[in-house]
Amino acid sequence: MKTRDLIIGIVILVVALLLFWKSGQEMTEKRPIVVVYVSEDRVFSEPILKDFEKETGITVKAVYDTEEAKSTGVMNRLIAEKSNPQADVYWANEPIRAEILKQKGVSAPYLSPNAKEIPKIFKDPDGFWTGFSARARVLIVNSGINERPESILAYTETRWRGKSVIANPLFGTTTAHIAALFTYWGNDRADAFMRAMKRNGVALSTSNGESADFVAAGRYAFSLVDSDDAVNRIRQGRPVTMVYPDQKPDEPGCFIVPNAVLLIKGAPHPKEARRLVDYLLSKETEHKLAFADCAQIPLHPDVEIPEELQPIDTIRIMQVDYAKVAAKLLEIQPYLKRWVSE
Amino acid sequence: MRLFLASIVSILLFIGIVPILAMLIKAFMPDDTIPSLFGSMQTWMLMRHSVILASLVTVSTFLLGIPLGIFLGKTDLPFRRFFIFLFLIPLLVPPYIIAVAWSDLFQMSGLPLHWLSGLPGSLFILVSVYLPLPMLLTMIFLHTVHPHLEEAGRLVATWPLTLWRVTLPLIRPALLLAALLVFLLALGEFSVPMYLRYNVYAVESFTQFSAFYNFEAATAAAIPLVLFAALLTVAENRYLRNRIAIPRHFAQKNEFLRITLGRNRWSVLTGIACLAAIFVAMPIGSLLLQAGGIDSYLRALHVAGDALLRSFFYAFVGASVLTFFGFFAGYLFLKKPFYAARTVDPLLLFLFTLPGTVIGIALITFWNTPSTNIVYATTLIVLFGYLAKYTALTARISLATLAMVPPSMEEAAQMTGAGWFQRMIHIVIPLTRHGILGAWVVASLFILRDISITILLYPPGHDTLPVRIFTLMANGSPQLIASLCIVMIAAVVVPAAVAWGWFHYWGTKR
Repeated sequence: MKTRDLIIGIVILVVALLLFWKSGQEMTEKRPIVVVYVSEDRVFSEPILKDFEKETGITVKAVYDTEEAKSTGVMNRLIAEKSNPQADVYWANEPIRAEILKQKGVSAPYLSPNAKEIPKIFKDPDGFWTGFSARARVLIVNSGINERPESILAYTETRWRGKSVIANPLFGTTTAHIAALFTYWGNDRADAFMRAMKRNGVALSTSNGESADFVAAGRYAFSLVDSDDAVNRIRQGRPVTMVYPDQKPDEPGCFIVPNAVLLIKGAPHPKEARRLVDYLLSKETEHKLAFADCAQIPLHPDVEIPEELQPIDTIRIMQVDYAKVAAKLLEIQPYLKRWVSE
Repeated sequence: MRLFLASIVSILLFIGIVPILAMLIKAFMPDDTIPSLFGSMQTWMLMRHSVILASLVTVSTFLLGIPLGIFLGKTDLPFRRFFIFLFLIPLLVPPYIIAVAWSDLFQMSGLPLHWLSGLPGSLFILVSVYLPLPMLLTMIFLHTVHPHLEEAGRLVATWPLTLWRVTLPLIRPALLLAALLVFLLALGEFSVPMYLRYNVYAVESFTQFSAFYNFEAATAAAIPLVLFAALLTVAENRYLRNRIAIPRHFAQKNEFLRITLGRNRWSVLTGIACLAAIFVAMPIGSLLLQAGGIDSYLRALHVAGDALLRSFFYAFVGASVLTFFGFFAGYLFLKKPFYAARTVDPLLLFLFTLPGTVIGIALITFWNTPSTNIVYATTLIVLFGYLAKYTALTARISLATLAMVPPSMEEAAQMTGAGWFQRMIHIVIPLTRHGILGAWVVASLFILRDISITILLYPPGHDTLPVRIFTLMANGSPQLIASLCIVMIAAVVVPAAVAWGWFHYWGTKR
């Protein structure tokens, strides 16, 4: 081997190594940049973040959750990085995790001017998180059946024995919904509901999407799913309808699951982080998310929505404190594990 | 020389072993994590699932892979080289892509998806992924059987009996190694069982970390996998290493005995073609059908072009660094200039057999501090992950190549007064350059397909193509996912085919 070849090889390797090391270093640089951890599905969140980049000139560096991490992976990464924060903003796909981050001291307060018109129930009073663009927990019902269930109590009625399905309550929005029921009804009534549901032969699926597919295929009559799952099947022309459950005055109402955005305490780029939070909480972002495939319901009044959705102010909403739901969610995890495995 | 090699070893140990040790020490700190984890029925159920899946995958790949290795490596079957490469493809791409492909195939053909989920689906996919390991090892080690022994057998018996009584017993250590490797890889695999909803132990470890970020529980959950890996390393070190790492004989083309299939060659060819169709052509075909026309690929490149380029860049830099360290680790193990050198190879093999998630968790635990942001907040953390996980590959390839250089060559140079660096640069490296290149190619392919290390360690905005596909799967359109999967397959297979062709050309020329 010639010495010249060796020197060329070493130089190439050193340059590549330097480039490699440098390529991951933007976070410590001074140019406008914001680091965001995202639990909302990448296909829906990435276009919004790209628009933000285009409109503001601020580069967005993102870490996305995978389906398999059940939308909690990056939240937990934030907890692990509490003493050494790498992220500026967290875009959660539901407020429960945002509330947990507040309780763990990971988030910082920020009252965005764009959040003024968002109803109080969907934001933390101290500004540790703010909700936007929501999903509703709805019943997806096969069009082939004669009478439609109007309440989640249908899960316990004998006429629906063996005809209902629900996503595994250990994960995702189903966990939050069950925790909300425990908060709203109290432990005893919620436990009775869960037991009755099991006695009535409810089937378990791996996800809300799978539940929606089962109902669309006619394997089950109905299921509790997120509104985007139902809207997607309706747009695909599948034989299903969507019911906002428990809308009568004496009923609990429909559980709403907004996205939530929060600032990270000790964020490396606080100024850019606030701009991103303001952007996500704008009416324009809510409009985009309403007309995207995720079909999320805007929380601002006067934002145009697609025909499949119902405006937030026309839905009877389950009145729960998301902070209490978050605490309850942690408390009932062992109960849910037992419920699933029994 | 001793100082230089000791530095190489120290860096490797610091990057790979120290974080693992730190993680284990943390896991054994007095709290109730370990008792509560192993006192749970769920844990034992998951462990049972893992062992069942890994055992079934091992047995199935063994039963299919050895005959396949014999047919493709020992007979005069037509299109052998083509089939070898075809069967290699599932091993070269991230395993979950094969699962996505079969899922697409089921959806397109209207078959119920639950037939594919759970144990049967996971078993089938993992068999197709790991089948090349026993196949390749069988093919390679058939060359280590001295032809005289087989000729002696042929004097009194037919080929099948000679293979059964002479050839296969002689390569038994290699077959055992293949079985152990497949068992451990299947045991640590999480993406396929997770995608196909089969709860196994590796998923528990990943979920404890990724979904709950419970470091203590994730570490405790990793302990059985660490123990399995340690067990394999000890077994390999004790019983197999001397017979595998440096073969005593390697039959050249002109002396290698090949079985003539005669009239049976076409029926064997049909059988192997059917197997290739099931394991390779059908899943890739379904992805191609699902992906649609050229527009889909253009969109895929638009969506993930940056991640693809980054994958190539990571592979180039990672493979170069791994080859450098692997070469000197192999040299160190061959020459053993000091006692501690004996431990290098077993430790590297131990790291290779550890699931990537365990290594990832260990690295994060170790480097996630404000004072070490220079590593944790940059791509260096990903490089460290690759070094820890894959240096065993480049070290083993280098060791096998270095063993073929007669020591007299180095000694002759030493007699003339050449120092160690001069001997390396002017004698050893030129004589082993093809082995070095082979190590580089293998390392780059493994880095290209890696997901377990990268998904845990990548800095914000610096994901690779396999990670990008994984994060787009949630509600991404099936057409986009399929076209991205095809791009991923092409990104691995095309360079692999070029390397394959080059090595064949070089072999023929030699």
